[in-house]
Amino acid sequence: MQRAYINALNKLAQEDDRVVSVLADNGTDYDWLFQRDFPERFFNVGIAEQNMVAMGAGLSTCGYIPFVLTAGSFLAYRAYEFIRDDVCFPCRNVKLVASGGGMSISNLGSTHHATEDLANLRALPNLTILSPASPAEVEAAVAEAYKIEGPVYIRMGMNGEKDFFPASRSGYPYQAQQIADGTDAAIITTGSIAEQALAAAQKLTTLGISTAVYVFSSIKPFDSETVLKLAAKVRLLATVEEHSITGGLGSAVAEVLCELPEHAVLCRIGLAGVFSQGYGTLKQMYRMNGLDAEAIADRVLKTWRKLS
Amino acid sequence: MNEADILRGLRKKIFLTACAGGGGHLASSFSSLEILYTLYARKTMNFRCNEPLWADRDRLILSKGHAALACYTVLSHVGFFGEDVLSGYAKPHSVLGGEPSGESIPGIETPTGSLGHGLSFGVGTALASKMSHADFETFVLLGDGECEEGSVWEAVIAASALKLGRLIAIVDVNGLQKMATVSEIAGISSWEDKWRSFGWDVVSVDGHDLEALTQILSHRRSHEDKPLAIVAKTVKGKGVSIMENNPVWHYRMPGKKELKTFMAELDISQEEVDHAKSIYQCAE
Repeated sequence: MQRAYINALNKLAQEDDRVVSVLADNGTDYDWLFQRDFPERFFNVGIAEQNMVAMGAGLSTCGYIPFVLTAGSFLAYRAYEFIRDDVCFPCRNVKLVASGGGMSISNLGSTHHATEDLANLRALPNLTILSPASPAEVEAAVAEAYKIEGPVYIRMGMNGEKDFFPASRSGYPYQAQQIADGTDAAIITTGSIAEQALAAAQKLTTLGISTAVYVFSSIKPFDSETVLKLAAKVRLLATVEEHSITGGLGSAVAEVLCELPEHAVLCRIGLAGVFSQGYGTLKQMYRMNGLDAEAIADRVLKTWRKLS
Repeated sequence: MNEADILRGLRKKIFLTACAGGGGHLASSFSSLEILYTLYARKTMNFRCNEPLWADRDRLILSKGHAALACYTVLSHVGFFGEDVLSGYAKPHSVLGGEPSGESIPGIETPTGSLGHGLSFGVGTALASKMSHADFETFVLLGDGECEEGSVWEAVIAASALKLGRLIAIVDVNGLQKMATVSEIAGISSWEDKWRSFGWDVVSVDGHDLEALTQILSHRRSHEDKPLAIVAKTVKGKGVSIMENNPVWHYRMPGKKELKTFMAELDISQEEVDHAKSIYQCAE
């Protein structure tokens, strides 16, 4: 995803000299490509996330389009009030890019994990929140963020993610994308963990629970319509997210469902009232935190059995 | 009218506006008044009242947002908006809040109130002017208490590293914050040494001396590499003897007895006080 991000940013910078890259000394592996091509528009302002965000706000009022980037945890937590007061409240044209969203900075542990970022940022008016699930979607997210005249948060993984499902052909996918068919249950997921959700659904289907998978690549705006349709169609909805089950995707779905008189049962899979546990590769983190395909399938299966 | 009378008139207006709005940070506003007056009324900044977002305007970032009343009063004095707008201060549907909430107020660049944001914002605008070779300067007005916020020093480092010669931080050093003196709480002794050690040019000035302020603030810094910190020594509550240098006045309106001192020293009549209070009482 990081390479896709820089490719897309370089393309934008080529076309528009208002695009600038601002880092807080915690960039991607490929920022040198931007620095090489646009040295006069590349700024590493040091380990100072609050300053980076408010600086971005200042730049935006002079016509520049800053893409400010650091690890998701430092951006969404440390600089939160700056995102709120300097960027979202005055609706400024600043792009907030989180590398290492979720647990993707896996072996450095919970201080480096952005597993509550969607919860705190989703509460902010004016902010668009994009959560691409693949490198192709990261590229589309950068292009989309540029098109939007206002604040955008892009949540990226950083573990060499692949394009494991076909990319949308019509711009950024605000509408949920179905990547697996199913009639009994549906998994709603976002970001790179979608790959685990897909594997879980395949397993569930072989066990006799026909399970669809929908990828929600925009958290705000949120595709409530697809949730409503699914809630009327299947008996069980499961949300799968690399995030706390409080405030993120699971909550967004619950907020839609709670207004219906009748709906499918919702099972929220994510970090349930705990910080991420352990260290290791992302795959190992998924396993330790009950978020690998096996554990997801197991949770859905158990909930399904209670229904029958 | 000489400028001493004008400034006394502005303090009077600040006080009456606060009365009509139900309160305000009088003491901070009185401490910053001459600085803001010099920037706008003595035109040491380039700006256009009728075109507040003119691209080449010098920027004033009111990082110490609680000096809002002083800033609004000066902006109104030079013509950014009329007395009718000023008198709506802190009322429902007014653009003027107790802290400035942003771009809807002509002359206000960014929402402030939470401390420690403005200098970073100013680093952004100063960097923009440098990149685009635009001919504007960025002034950021900070409080000395505000400098306890760590983010201020993130911006101080960045401004120096980015060689932002067209960034000017004005530190309103009145020595007081909400609950005590700055030195009691933060033990800060030499502001000049601190800013200089981060690679800034530093000058000190009496923050109530219009001539001295004018001399410093009118100097164009277009070809400088280092940002400039102006350490402005001021008196919190300046202009009303019982307020001066007393932290209790951080956010407080006078009681009956104290009001007499305000009226005598700011040349305010009973009718004017009554009128302002009636505006507050009438507001729904």
